[in-house]
Amino acid sequence: MGDIRYYAGVDIGSTMTKVVIVSDRIETALIGPTGPEHRKLANKVMEEALKQARLRFEDLSYIVATGYGRINVPFADRQITEITCHAKGLYSLLPTVKTIIDIGGQDSKGIRIKDGKVINFVMNDKCAAGTGRFLEVIADSLGVPLNDLGKLSLEASRATPISSTCTVFAEHEVTNQLANGESVANLVAGVHESIATRVYSLVRKLQIEKDIAVTGGGAKNIGLVKALEGKFGSPVLIPPEPLITGALGAALLGKEKWEKARLDGYTPTRSKEGLQEAKLFT
Amino acid sequence: MTGSQNSKGLEKADRYYKQYGERAKELKKEGRKIIGYMSALTPVEILTAAGVAPIRLKGFMDEAVTKGDAYMESIICPFVRSAFDAAVKGRFGFMDGMVLPHQCDSIDRTNEVWSSNLNLPYWHFLNVPHVTGGPSIEFMKEILRVFIGTLEKFLGTKITDTAIAQAIKAHNENRRLMRELYILRKQNPPLISGVEMMKVLVAAMSLPVDESSALIKSVTEEVKKRPAPADGNRKRIMIIGDQIDHIAIPEAIENAGAWLVVDDLSIGVKVYWPEVDETTDPLQGIAERYLRKLKIPTTFVGEGDTYEENLEARFGHLKQRIAEFKVDGAILFIYKYCDPYGFEVPAVKSYIESGGTPVLYLEDEYSTSTLARVKTRIEAFLEMIA
Amino acid sequence: MAEEKKRRAVATKTAAGIPKFVRGNLSATLRAKEEGKKVAKAFIHDGHDEIMRAMDIVPAWGESFSGVCAAKRDAEKFLQKAESDNFSRSLCTYATCHIGFEMAREEQGGAMPEGAPWGGMGRPDMILGNGQLLCDPRFKWPQALQHYLRDVPVFVTNMYYPPWDPNVDHHEQEKFYVKYCTEELHETVKFCEKVTGKKMDWDRLAAVVDLSDKTWDLFVDTYDLRKAIPTPMDTGDAMNTMVPITFNIGTQEAYDFYVELNNELKEKIAQGIGVADPEKYRLIWAAGLPSWFALNDFQYFNGKGAVFPVEVTYRDHEKIERLDLPKTNDPLERIAWRWVRYWTHWYDAARKIPGSTPKVARIIEYFEDYKCDGVVFHSAFSCRSWHAGIIHQAEVLRKVYKDIPILIMEGDIVDISSYNEADTHNRIDAFIETLEAYRNKQKN
Repeated sequence: MGDIRYYAGVDIGSTMTKVVIVSDRIETALIGPTGPEHRKLANKVMEEALKQARLRFEDLSYIVATGYGRINVPFADRQITEITCHAKGLYSLLPTVKTIIDIGGQDSKGIRIKDGKVINFVMNDKCAAGTGRFLEVIADSLGVPLNDLGKLSLEASRATPISSTCTVFAEHEVTNQLANGESVANLVAGVHESIATRVYSLVRKLQIEKDIAVTGGGAKNIGLVKALEGKFGSPVLIPPEPLITGALGAALLGKEKWEKARLDGYTPTRSKEGLQEAKLFT
Repeated sequence: MTGSQNSKGLEKADRYYKQYGERAKELKKEGRKIIGYMSALTPVEILTAAGVAPIRLKGFMDEAVTKGDAYMESIICPFVRSAFDAAVKGRFGFMDGMVLPHQCDSIDRTNEVWSSNLNLPYWHFLNVPHVTGGPSIEFMKEILRVFIGTLEKFLGTKITDTAIAQAIKAHNENRRLMRELYILRKQNPPLISGVEMMKVLVAAMSLPVDESSALIKSVTEEVKKRPAPADGNRKRIMIIGDQIDHIAIPEAIENAGAWLVVDDLSIGVKVYWPEVDETTDPLQGIAERYLRKLKIPTTFVGEGDTYEENLEARFGHLKQRIAEFKVDGAILFIYKYCDPYGFEVPAVKSYIESGGTPVLYLEDEYSTSTLARVKTRIEAFLEMIA
Repeated sequence: MAEEKKRRAVATKTAAGIPKFVRGNLSATLRAKEEGKKVAKAFIHDGHDEIMRAMDIVPAWGESFSGVCAAKRDAEKFLQKAESDNFSRSLCTYATCHIGFEMAREEQGGAMPEGAPWGGMGRPDMILGNGQLLCDPRFKWPQALQHYLRDVPVFVTNMYYPPWDPNVDHHEQEKFYVKYCTEELHETVKFCEKVTGKKMDWDRLAAVVDLSDKTWDLFVDTYDLRKAIPTPMDTGDAMNTMVPITFNIGTQEAYDFYVELNNELKEKIAQGIGVADPEKYRLIWAAGLPSWFALNDFQYFNGKGAVFPVEVTYRDHEKIERLDLPKTNDPLERIAWRWVRYWTHWYDAARKIPGSTPKVARIIEYFEDYKCDGVVFHSAFSCRSWHAGIIHQAEVLRKVYKDIPILIMEGDIVDISSYNEADTHNRIDAFIETLEAYRNKQKN
């Protein structure tokens, strides 16, 4: 083992669980579904990640949990919000970025960073408008696989205006338009436009500064990214794996905490909990 | 069965908080008339002078609105809906009557919804004006006289100026005692937590003024005597809003590793700081306190010559509290559908930030079911200002 | 489409003159500076109309501006602008749309924001508000706006009327309410004198007040013509013909408009021309501002043979004689009495129907006078003022009157994202079926 130390970040999002293990570099990054049946199984994703990195659980010096399920990761040493973790993770990958837009499964957020530190942030309210959930619902009612939306929208001749921001209303609207003969591609482009508009008006509350980066599941949708670029009037940067910035940031913050503790003259003790199922909703 | 009064200080506050209205129920059995009221704008002095036991209505943040929604639209203030829902469910079954002061549209527009669904023996809508000039003070005195007249008719007794003057003294004393308790939060760490304080504030508004004063006094003594909490290295937070009356909010703040050290809430600092001047005509002092001294967004302040001057008049007290209580960050917690608070968010936020204090603005329903998101924001805010 | 064509043929010709009024009001604010006049950002129904007209102050109507943006389905950019500075989406959208517009203009150093409808609206020299009982934005909007227009002075009047309480004699209270309103209006005049640097011409004010009274009477007489069967004019039209009485009260143009409308309605009645042919159901629009972006919904009703001969909205006037106003030489006291009595005269009506409220008593009176078959309310998402308490009105109406068909529609005044056309039309269809069923039940 020598002097190499390993730190893990676990990001339990609403739809995906992400694990990143770092040393002086990224050792491994793994993404697994959070889905209803997997909710308790953060430990499984962690096991996978350890296997991939050829490490044992005991090799980890510090574990930080983040994401909406962060409270319920028994084997984590500390919880830090996804806001702080995203900023940290992204800054390590794309240090020129000052504004982050994260479009996740159930929320979207904007983060302003300066020297890797959060200086302001916004999150959407409980409504699903402007989140991945909105896309999922619409994809479902159009019968298009979620992953195909982006490409499909590039074939659109125009973006059909969708006036409702309410997910349920918008779904009605899309179904009606479909019945009126509007093409699926145009509708998908319209939906992207609608989400981009919501996200833009959310993030505008921050003093937006370039460079802008997009992360989260939304960053994988080329149509949505294009729509966002239109709204922000500027190209956006996307990290190579836009889903893992939160977990990466968590791991890096863990590393920082551990190293700082060592400088202060003590070694943080690891959580006594072993690698076990999360106790959600208890 | 022993009465609810036999326990002391914090324990009693905890009990009155959990069993809201327990004491009112007992008093009712003893033959006292119980009058419920809403908002910081109800002149409690007059209710006390009338010999009734006033109890301020609260909402129940952890209960879904299940009955009230049949009568009240979802665009109405979620706090008002929750309190109304509790009322129609019989939570305040001990009330002989209610006073609803004109604070905002959500109250004004639901006056008839309340009165006709609760159908109490006594009902009064107190038409408090939104502006504060000379004619408004005179008008306020007129509506106070109407209010007194209806109470006298209902109770069959006269409410004398002497009784009002005495009630003013008692309530001023009550406010002074509460401020003394607040002062214990200026220390670092504060001697009483935000969660405990919330219970005291809620308990205090459910009691007749003398009992409320006794409760506050005993809490202060108890808190002074017990050892101070050890953890001083936490951020000190102020919360600003209207009626936040559930421990879930201070818990969200304190469980995230901060201290809630002061507030500007309508059941806290907003009502305990301003006193009633003891004027020859007691109604003069009452009118002036409720119109000019209470700092609430439904009272329009515009006497200054410039916008900046008016900002100081509207929010200057916030900067004072921030300095006195050494606040590191302020949380603006505003209910959805609230025009009076909502329209001043940009002004109050930038005013506080201009003094170098970061502000987290949260808009939420009055419900613990949406708190998970709120918690994340509070935590991220604390990480940001760490 | 066919429905729409038929509807156009029967809309009043007079209503076609409305866009001229709206544009005229907007352009007056833009011309004011060169004409040496002051512009006041003002509210309708705040008791300020006659004061402004008598002092040559040009009103800039925020509600009208936002309504126009909404009708053109082009309010979103201003709503978003306001949202970007943390004005919640659940606040009054009349206000947030207008504030967003002013924010955009200030940011551009005073240049008119692109896409401002009909040339936009002039920058105000003063902001008038009113802390009366009609809505909180009437004093919060001025304050919020001043945050961006810091040099513009604000004055908030307070004009209250006695609250409805079946156990309190409101006549006893009227006097001190009127005294208060009058004093507040005098304060308002002082403020306007200070900003304009001109003294009030009290004779001119008295003449303007008289003209308003005359216009009110004519307005009510004209609207009463809609009692005819079939009705010659529908609420869909009234949402336009309200413009002169609402935004131009106290001007000769407003009076003349209703002369013309009156003549046209009489002609239509003489010829037996109705809004719907055949007219099957008569409805009352019992509360709520309309969704300005969806006024076509009235045509949708008409297409099903349903017409609205009467509405509560924007009929904020009754015949002067009905109000039984005490004599006074002070035109401001006259305004105050008119204001207070406009509300309290319904209290006497409500007292006669046990368990009723003034709002419900009014609906019942109109329902009977205009021979209606059903009641429609509109609940607008962002506006508590007119739209909170509607469920209760419907409830009381059923309890104290009879079990008539009632529809509560949902939408917003400005924010189209709160509205769903398909759903609205479905509800209307179902309501029409209810009307039919109710009628059949009545027959049996």
